[in-house]
Amino acid sequence: MSIAESIQSIGFLADIRESALVYPVIMATHLACIAIFGGMILMTDLRLLALAMTDRTVTDVVNQFRNWKRVGFCIMVTMGILLGASEAAKYTPNPFFWGKMASLILVAAHAVIFRPMVYNNTAAIDAAPSLPGRAKLAGALSLLIWFSILSNGRLIGYWEGPGSPGKPIASSVRSAPQVAATHAQSR
Amino acid sequence: MFLAVANPLNSSELIFPTLEVIHIVGFAVLVGTIALVDFRLLNLGMRRQKVAELAQDLAPWTLIGLTMVLLSGPLMFSSDPDMYYLNRSFQVKMVLLLLAIVFQYTIHRKATKSEGQPFRQKLVACVSMALWTGVVFGGIFIGFV
Repeated sequence: MSIAESIQSIGFLADIRESALVYPVIMATHLACIAIFGGMILMTDLRLLALAMTDRTVTDVVNQFRNWKRVGFCIMVTMGILLGASEAAKYTPNPFFWGKMASLILVAAHAVIFRPMVYNNTAAIDAAPSLPGRAKLAGALSLLIWFSILSNGRLIGYWEGPGSPGKPIASSVRSAPQVAATHAQSR
Repeated sequence: MFLAVANPLNSSELIFPTLEVIHIVGFAVLVGTIALVDFRLLNLGMRRQKVAELAQDLAPWTLIGLTMVLLSGPLMFSSDPDMYYLNRSFQVKMVLLLLAIVFQYTIHRKATKSEGQPFRQKLVACVSMALWTGVVFGGIFIGFV
């Protein structure tokens, strides 16, 4: 038995995978958190790019969203781990899954680099005569990385593996519901 | 009769997931900005701004998000209208979405402008969060009912 199979055979993870209700509820919670807290990340980034909330200082925006973004990130990651671990054997060969994981590492790298320069240094940014380049760079890169996480995450559900039988080539699109239906059947 | 196979959307494998990504980014902007106002109404965050100021700051972005979901959503619907139309979760989602949009631009908007009614504002924020979360859940459950 592979490591992935061992992980997903853990009692409660197998329960999640096999439940008709728990799996979609966790997935919907994951998505609801993306909506609520992803929106905050986006607004922070847009403020750093001077595209939104320009009547507020960078300090106001960064500091006030910070704790909520942390709460949201924790719920999002917890739900994500539950989703991923319950289907571990299916996820490990999926390139989009690894694309998402690599992007998450980039988020950590982004935080390490830009936290001292931008997020913990907002007073200097507000005091500068014009918005410093490092703030714009932090905002732009954050947008890019989160977009990569989001699109890789969505594409995880579309990858059918090399040589999967009857893989349709431009014949008909497998809509998300169809993907989910196949997913439900294959459990 | 509408033929799903005749829809140019169904001629490429990449178009549907691309629309989904646009839809997700769109609802992150839409629901995220509304949630920020709701947190403020609940007095849970952004306290250094007045409710009206925050609502005004975020309103254009709420509209951008709404436009994104309302453009991408119907296109996805068109890929398989019969399936969506009969899907119970989709039906619930559409009702909640209609309620949520109407609520957003009537009662919610009014609550952001009226100071000094904390209980009413909190109630409005809770209803708003419940409606929009319901819309997201309705969307996910389309694939599971």
